[in-house]
Amino acid sequence: MEDESHNNILPNGFNTGSTESPCLKTSTMTTQHNNNNNHQNHSNKEQDRFLPIANVGRIMKKVIPPNGKISKDAKETVQECVSEFISFVTGEASDKCQREKRKTINGDDVIWAITTLGFEDYVEPLKTYLQKYKEIEGEKLNIPKQLRSEQRLHQHQQNHNNNHDENNNQPFNGAYASSNLISQPPYVPTDQKFSLPFSPNSIQNQLRQQEQIDSVGHWYE
Amino acid sequence: MENNQQQGAQAQSGPYPGGAGGSAGAGAGAGAAPFQHLLQQQQQQLQMFWSYQRQEIEHVNDFKNHQLPLARIKKIMKADEDVRMISAEAPILFAKACELFILELTIRSWLHADENKRRTLQKNDIAAAITRTDIFDFLVDIVPRDEIKDDAALVGATASGVPYYYPPIGQPAGMMIGRPAVDPATGVYVQPPSQAWQSVWQSAAEDTPYGTGAQGNLDGQSMEF
Repeated sequence: MEDESHNNILPNGFNTGSTESPCLKTSTMTTQHNNNNNHQNHSNKEQDRFLPIANVGRIMKKVIPPNGKISKDAKETVQECVSEFISFVTGEASDKCQREKRKTINGDDVIWAITTLGFEDYVEPLKTYLQKYKEIEGEKLNIPKQLRSEQRLHQHQQNHNNNHDENNNQPFNGAYASSNLISQPPYVPTDQKFSLPFSPNSIQNQLRQQEQIDSVGHWYE
Repeated sequence: MENNQQQGAQAQSGPYPGGAGGSAGAGAGAGAAPFQHLLQQQQQQLQMFWSYQRQEIEHVNDFKNHQLPLARIKKIMKADEDVRMISAEAPILFAKACELFILELTIRSWLHADENKRRTLQKNDIAAAITRTDIFDFLVDIVPRDEIKDDAALVGATASGVPYYYPPIGQPAGMMIGRPAVDPATGVYVQPPSQAWQSVWQSAAEDTPYGTGAQGNLDGQSMEF
């Protein structure tokens, strides 16, 4: 048997070539799916009969210890079991709809079928889930957003991207402070021994004082 | 509550509708003390799982990001020719139901692998879980008979000990009786791994709340556009 590492996700589940875009119609509070399929390829592919093995494996790992592993044939077996579960419950719900002369399977029919088939532990969580869904969808009728989300999900899977946060697109906040330096030329005073015709500066005055002192000293000698 | 076995035992009878499952379980659990302890531990783990799921769903507020693709679920539903139209809420509800189904089947399968001291989940572990659980009878045809043969004696023991069709309340008792045939050889050594698994599962569950995961997924998808 082939064993897989804890973080190994196979891309087999994403090899489907057809892009599925379900069409939803709005009638009162319930949206119904038209019976006319818009799928380009109507053949029942092997991959289309099961849910993607990557999604199934990811859910299985939630209850497996970190050092535990899941073999590929175990994932494939659970894939088959889930499809059988969907068909099993759907068949029961469909029979109920036919007896009651209704054409559309709704959420309550699914819960009724699950109850009838003995999955009692599932009933309470699913009733809560359905109730919350109706509350949220009742407040905002955002069918376009729902479609957009589904399309994103499909594109996301086709790109083989893992569900991890990407921080590469964060804006670069580099604060660069630029200061204008005021450059002044250094003032180098030049000593001038000769007297100028215009008014002299203080330095020249000091030089003259020194000369007077020298003359006085020389006179005393 | 999660770490207190006594409270766990008390909770056993509480949630069961229409009767006390604790007494039935205790009555049917005739056997050596270590094995009975192991069986009670396994039951507690499953009950903790369902309790956690109920709390998790109470806080869900995002129905746009699912663990499973809705279009694929719809396609599987429409494989039945009698199915005509499906409301939008049905595949969304199925996405949650299938997640619960996968989680329960995986836990019960892992318990079997743990009993055999293996760290890799295999196909025969899933076959064993299907054989031991009444609500999984519809899956018997999916696993080949070769996988089920390993537990033939176990099935026989169950049939001889308890009536095959047991009321829902007594289901834990039926499961408990089925285990002694396997436990005598490794009963003492299996307990530590189970306890380790229990603590690991609790921490793992706490580390990955559903809401946060969905939030991250949404952000990731937004970045791509």
